Amino acid sequence: MRDVIAGIRGRLFILMCKFFRRNIKIKEGLKIYKRLSIGGKGMVSIGSNCIVDGIRGDSIQHVTIDAYSPEAVITIGNNAQLYAARIAAKFQVTIGNNVLIEESGITDTDFHSIDRSRGNPVDENRDKCQINIGNSVSIGARSLITKGVAIGDNAVIAPGSIVTTSVKPGSLVFGNPARTIMQGQSVSE
Amino acid sequence: MQMFYRKALNNIKISIQDPLYFFQSLTAFLRGFLYIIYYNFFTRNVKIGFPFKAYAPVRIIGPGSVSIGKDCSVYKNVFRGLTIVTSSCDAVVNIGRKCALGGLTIRCSKRVEIGDCVMTATSLIQDSFFVNYDKTMSIPINKPIPEPKEISIGNNVWLSMGSILLRGCNIGSDSVISAGSWCFDATIKDYFLAIGNPVKKALPIEKLQRLKGIS
Repeated sequence: MRDVIAGIRGRLFILMCKFFRRNIKIKEGLKIYKRLSIGGKGMVSIGSNCIVDGIRGDSIQHVTIDAYSPEAVITIGNNAQLYAARIAAKFQVTIGNNVLIEESGITDTDFHSIDRSRGNPVDENRDKCQINIGNSVSIGARSLITKGVAIGDNAVIAPGSIVTTSVKPGSLVFGNPARTIMQGQSVSE
Repeated sequence: MQMFYRKALNNIKISIQDPLYFFQSLTAFLRGFLYIIYYNFFTRNVKIGFPFKAYAPVRIIGPGSVSIGKDCSVYKNVFRGLTIVTSSCDAVVNIGRKCALGGLTIRCSKRVEIGDCVMTATSLIQDSFFVNYDKTMSIPINKPIPEPKEISIGNNVWLSMGSILLRGCNIGSDSVISAGSWCFDATIKDYFLAIGNPVKKALPIEKLQRLKGIS
């Protein structure tokens, strides 16, 4: 019953996007269990058979996708599972197929400069700041991905980690800043 | 019996000095009593001990069994109360007596054990790597995700703000987890202070106190 309602909500959302918001392109099979809000004037495209849901028991449960500037591009592949994910882009964010994102933030820019004026940051451009996330990556809860990061295929990012440098394919990464550590680490005294 | 009278006298003194405190504690007691009635009689899997003070909302979801000991209290910490989510029928959450739980979230899929007199701020205890672990296996993923492993926390432990405990943590009694630290598959002995994100070092508290001149 829940799945049927989610399917109907997804179809209605796709129809709404066709008529009123031409900058959003969504393929078939979208399921919306919790609220999905897409903002901004940039291009947003989502692949087929995606799931939009929240983590049970949390106070914040909706997925937000924001393309701030008109030249921003956000692309999400097929079979993506977004659980309370927050994606914000000024330039470009590309996410591959079979991706799992749980209650974590992906941001492209710093939004403000470090000057006293707090204006637009000067030294940011598309080549420097774009985020690339590969196929079948899974990102844990309460983690954050900052600008200029490329994550390889089959990588796992542990809950609570903050990724500042790019991650090799097939690696397990955690901590602040995120790094690879072998399993079963021992705590020294 | 003498102890009882002394406690009662003390309570009356406090209520005369600070009537707002008395009113708040009374409402918390009544709210907790309502929670006890709701969870013990209308859901089969949750059991809460009798004196239960709820200063903040309590949310317990899922099919797994949850038991909270006597004389626990839930405080508001960064606009959050206590939330416990169990994702499978085999999940077990045991919380001991006299715990002060503020802003704690537990996401359990196997087993989480917490001792007596534990004090928490807004912290996360999660014994699996991903919350929607069973659902993720339905899509073809060719990589090793670590399986859920049980967590145990000893008596009189203090979890400070923003700390995260992941699968396979064993924390001894009387130890402290510092603010913003992050544990994964780590064993910490009795009366130690764990620091770092991720935790690599644990310092003995006796030595620290001797260095600072507190004995």
